[in-house]
Amino acid sequence: MTRYVMVMDQRRCIGCQSCSVACRTWNDLPMDIVYNPVVTEGVKGEWPHVHVNYTPLICMHCEKAPCTLCCPTGASQKDDDGTVWIDYKKCMGCKVCVQACPYGARDTSEMSPRLERYARKCTFCRDRRQMNPEAKPYCVDTCHQKARIFGDLDDPESEVSRIIGSVETVRLMEDFGTEPQIYYIPALGGQR
Amino acid sequence: MNKHYWTWPIAIYLFLGGLGGGILSFALVFDILVPGSGEIFAMPVFIALVCLGLGCFFLVFELGQPTVFLRVFLTATAIIKWGAILLSVALIFGFVYWVSCLPWDFVAFLIPLRGICLALAGICGALVMVYTGVLLASLKAHAFWSTPALPVLFTVSALSTGSALCALALGMWPFDPATFNNAAGLIVSLHEKELIYEALHLIDMVLIGVELLVLLMYVLLLRGSGNAVARAVATRWVSGKVAPAFWGGMVIAGLLLPLALYSGGGEAAAAVAPVLVLAGGCLLRFLVVFADDRRKVPGEDRFYRRLPHHDAEFLTAWKNKEHLY
Amino acid sequence: MTEIDINAPGVEVKKSCCYFCHQNCGVLAYVKDGQVIKIEGDPSHPTNQGGLCCRGNIALKHLDHPARINHALKRVGERGGNKWEKIPWDQAISEIAERLNQIKAESGAEAVATAGGTLRTEDWSRRRFMNIFGSPNSFHNALLCWIPTFMVETAVCGWSPFETDLGDSRCVILWGFNPGASGMPGMRGYTDLQKAGIKIIVVDPRFSETAAKADLWLPLRPGSDTALALAMVHTVIYEGLTNNDFVANWCVGWDELVEHIGQYSPEWAAPITWLDPEKIREAARMYAKNTPSNIQWGCTADQLGATSGAGMHARMILRAICGNLDCPGGDLIPGPSFTYLTDEEIEANDWLPEEQKAKQIGSDKFKLTSWPGYQRIADVARETWGKAPTAEWMCEAHGPSVFKAILTGDPYPVRALIVSATNPVSSYGDSKMVLEALKKVEFLVTCDYWMTPAAFYSDYVMPIAGALERPTIHTNYGVTDSIMCSQRAIQPMYDRHTDYTFWRDLALATGQPADQWPWENEEEAFYYIIYPLVNLGYPVSSYDEFVENFRFYYPPLHFYKYGEKGFCTPSRRVELKSSILEELGYPALPTYIGCAENELDDPALAEEYPLVLTTGGGFMPYHHSEQFQIESVRYLYHDPYFTINPATAAKMGIAEGDWCWIETRRGRIKQRANVEPSVDPRVIYAQRGWWYPERGAADPEAPFGCLESNVNVLTSVDDEHCDPIGGSWANRGLLCKVYKVGYLDKGKAADTAFSIPGSAKEPGVTVMPSESKLAYEPIPFDPKPDFEVPEGLLWDKSRRVAYQEATGFVYDPASGWLIDQSSQVYYDLYTGYAFDPTENNLVDMQTGKRYDLETRAEIGAAPEAAAPEAAAVAEAAKPAATAETAQEQAPTAEEGKE
Repeated sequence: MTRYVMVMDQRRCIGCQSCSVACRTWNDLPMDIVYNPVVTEGVKGEWPHVHVNYTPLICMHCEKAPCTLCCPTGASQKDDDGTVWIDYKKCMGCKVCVQACPYGARDTSEMSPRLERYARKCTFCRDRRQMNPEAKPYCVDTCHQKARIFGDLDDPESEVSRIIGSVETVRLMEDFGTEPQIYYIPALGGQR
Repeated sequence: MNKHYWTWPIAIYLFLGGLGGGILSFALVFDILVPGSGEIFAMPVFIALVCLGLGCFFLVFELGQPTVFLRVFLTATAIIKWGAILLSVALIFGFVYWVSCLPWDFVAFLIPLRGICLALAGICGALVMVYTGVLLASLKAHAFWSTPALPVLFTVSALSTGSALCALALGMWPFDPATFNNAAGLIVSLHEKELIYEALHLIDMVLIGVELLVLLMYVLLLRGSGNAVARAVATRWVSGKVAPAFWGGMVIAGLLLPLALYSGGGEAAAAVAPVLVLAGGCLLRFLVVFADDRRKVPGEDRFYRRLPHHDAEFLTAWKNKEHLY
Repeated sequence: MTEIDINAPGVEVKKSCCYFCHQNCGVLAYVKDGQVIKIEGDPSHPTNQGGLCCRGNIALKHLDHPARINHALKRVGERGGNKWEKIPWDQAISEIAERLNQIKAESGAEAVATAGGTLRTEDWSRRRFMNIFGSPNSFHNALLCWIPTFMVETAVCGWSPFETDLGDSRCVILWGFNPGASGMPGMRGYTDLQKAGIKIIVVDPRFSETAAKADLWLPLRPGSDTALALAMVHTVIYEGLTNNDFVANWCVGWDELVEHIGQYSPEWAAPITWLDPEKIREAARMYAKNTPSNIQWGCTADQLGATSGAGMHARMILRAICGNLDCPGGDLIPGPSFTYLTDEEIEANDWLPEEQKAKQIGSDKFKLTSWPGYQRIADVARETWGKAPTAEWMCEAHGPSVFKAILTGDPYPVRALIVSATNPVSSYGDSKMVLEALKKVEFLVTCDYWMTPAAFYSDYVMPIAGALERPTIHTNYGVTDSIMCSQRAIQPMYDRHTDYTFWRDLALATGQPADQWPWENEEEAFYYIIYPLVNLGYPVSSYDEFVENFRFYYPPLHFYKYGEKGFCTPSRRVELKSSILEELGYPALPTYIGCAENELDDPALAEEYPLVLTTGGGFMPYHHSEQFQIESVRYLYHDPYFTINPATAAKMGIAEGDWCWIETRRGRIKQRANVEPSVDPRVIYAQRGWWYPERGAADPEAPFGCLESNVNVLTSVDDEHCDPIGGSWANRGLLCKVYKVGYLDKGKAADTAFSIPGSAKEPGVTVMPSESKLAYEPIPFDPKPDFEVPEGLLWDKSRRVAYQEATGFVYDPASGWLIDQSSQVYYDLYTGYAFDPTENNLVDMQTGKRYDLETRAEIGAAPEAAAPEAAAVAEAAKPAATAETAQEQAPTAEEGKE
């Protein structure tokens, strides 16, 4: 089996939003759609003893994805490799999946034509990987800081397996029980 | 994300769905309790059908790709799919039932089906009431919605608004007590109508009381909840930006005032109170639908707050423009 | 929405590059039927290894954006009326050329000025055009970006230590440098190096992306870098952390330095820099003890205004006395490129006559980065390397002074301005003055991708081809020896042309000789540049072929190059006490002057403007004033934000996201508050470059909201605020105040156009060039002869020799003879006869008649008149003169052997 996961190295992320913009242009998204924002609370602390932390968000491709369960038309679905994606032709735009996602990873564009406002989300560049099985999601390739690592967690030799096995990682909002597949290496209070 | 994905069409849809479901349920219940009394509910049932139809219209209107709507019936097991099926069944059988009540001979052949139609419509109507609450309660991402009490609250509110509307429209056309023969051959007297009328008022008073209880428990308990998001919403309702609408509109104008009017009695009160109940029920759906707060990743708010959602000048500056220079 | 198949048949992969900042990351462009269908980062490119940042990823959006200029535009109707006629490229070129020739005929070539932009162009072609045209007034924003640093460092140690051998380094100071926002690949490199053990010291008043990763962070007062550098030099010297061998063998001016630096202790620097003296010492120790170590240059060094020059000098001294120059792991001195042509070799500087060089605006004030200083440095460099630094950027007119000349006619009117790849209203200080100059200049041409404020007021706007439509060559103008090449993905779309084509077409249309512009396109020109490589193991027959097969040329690092010839300075040593600066009239040792506005020198001003403004630093995703039109990035970064400490904000009632005024003595601008403790409570950091292209010409007085949030409204280019050495002006350390935008201010169009105390209509030209004063009185750079110049000879101050105008023979003051430098023949000063050492008499080269050495009588007419003792005198004088001449020609060679 294949189980694709992504590791976000918050020690390396500098919040440049290159991944967000890269994704927007590579997938030619409408202006108001951001699949993978890098969010931060800004610099925290008491001057000059301060720190900053950047969290790259993206669809968590949850193992138990609530968005696929609630989809009334079967548009939202999960591949065998763990990729959660939407068949846009089948989506009627009811936005129940948008509401169901605890991570805010789905959105509909108000800037696309009135009758084409289907739900959109990150697909780990499913189409790109279908063209070339070796390809990684574009945000991974484009990250200058190499803060994103993508791979198959079921392959014990993969880089993600090695990292998740050896470095302490966390997942966001695990209490929802959705088994998110994005692992974060925390920035340890802003230190490298 | 930082915006309300479901707005007024969904609030109205939930309100109308609950209202229609409530009316159908009452029609069934009274028909069982007072056999044959269902016919008095001809007008309310018609209104219920209009409500459900309008609700569906708003639902479809609000869809991003309405052309794909029919896929709902083809696949999947999701809650919305069950809602759609229940709505459709209620609509179809409710309609047949209502047509059978029309005083025209060429529909008389439907009269034997009346009972089964009303039964199906009533059951589905009751389920639709519950469904409106379950739909929101199943969305775990939204702490204020995802409690088992929300379907209860919505059902009670739906019943209360249903009974209010029944009270308003009871015994109107096509029901004519002078000429109307019901299936069992019994002449339904005006007196009987008055009894149901009184009963509905009483029921509504009880429902308002229960709704008040459920609502206050719901909001006040969440106000002390361990979940920060639910707590934030409840605080907003109780003492924040939404407090005037919640206390003034929902609790006082929508519940306490009609309760007082009902108990005071009188023709005018009987006409005004149900309207207030209906307005209150509608307001409740709006308040709840807009209470769609989600737990945010730290910094998410800051990110979305800085996006130019409202700068139309920028958003349209180069849109669809072909080569300015 | 579906993926475009980049592997489909008919899709070509072109090795293009990103052209939106200076990193020039590799880009693979997938081209089908002459259209770019997709781009992605080139995984095999050593710079970015497949990565691309916000700027790079928008290349396709940039390529065919609806607001791009696709045709040559000719203004119809009045200036600022925004009415344009699309005309063919060739017509525009010939009309511009006609007008330029007319202005040249009427007012001289110097009445034509050109403004260059940052690395979007082949700027040598602009320089070449200007040199052959005969105007010295090409100028550039480079004064804010490395050029003064390069020139000061070159004056001190012979060549700016441009390369850093970080792989073997143990400590690096990132000084006013934030790769986390300006150079993404660099940032990855630093993170990796840090993981491998290098210590990183960050000097930045802001808790920048880079400072967040630092081992030691020095949050100094903006603009006080010079004081910090001096205090670090003080610490290194007085704590004995210097590399004594290097100082003893390879530095001059040590004793003077030790004495001079005594006044700049860390305690002295503490109130200026707001840093704890111990922290300064800690940084100095970390740098000096962990050698080999590096100081990475950042633009801050060039943006401090009056105080800049001394800081560059001090940092150079710091490197030298710690022994970090040209050693493994240290700051390497690459010297000019020997394996391909430097820009200097193709910019035709010899076409510019001496009298035109003297007319260069600003060269009388800011001498190091204009002809006086450049000529001196270039001469020394040619002696050492045989090549000189590029003159484009290193030797330019002073931009702000050119704008002032447009407005005031002082020193002479500048009538025509060609703006290429720059948006001067955003990028030069005192924007209101610049905007006014653009409105006033008689003839304005803009070459740009977009309709900028400058383009808006232009007579002609020329459509320029962008990143994917042109090949690029990354040579660092030839001041280092590596090269990165990229090819053209597609031919320019619409009627766009590259800037090289513009200058070449314009050159030919103005009547410049066609043989001076033999390269029809960039590929031919670039092949000419890389041609020397063909014989060095890169056998290619075209530029494209080089890109396809090799793409890069990275020669192996050479260390200790100074061991062969010494450093490339007049004394062949690192001149801690710089003779070149001294000659030009500047302090020979780094001498502290306070930055343009500061609370210590001007407490009254600080009372009214209590906060310190810093700006000019890059921030993601914009590069300078670019990319504001690209929706994909602008949506994420829609409004200008200034950063204010929460403590200060609370005191002023400013909340996150509030629109506020930032005001200095020059004017005020609006930005939104970003309240976070990433700056000192006394500091404001404002984002640079803001304009609002989506607003169009709603306000024709200040189109595109170009003054509303533009920090350069706040900066000053008054002469006394500029660095007297390099001419750069201050973006850092200005005094300002901040207050919330009031209800009455909101939505008032006037607020976008006017600011106090000047206005867009009456800009704040506060100091006329004639009234200007420098921070310290310079000794004028006008070297006088130290001997009496005989009548009839001319004094050449740049070569410092007297010469005969008709023949070019140079006067030798020691012997009193004239010397033909090419043949080394001696001529008599008065008669013009040549000295014949074999027969020991004089010869008239015209007639062949011989004359007596002593009496000047013709031999034969009066035979045997020559006295034997006279011949002996001449014999004795000659070798002595020869020796002295030799020394003058190569004064450094002998001292170098000492």
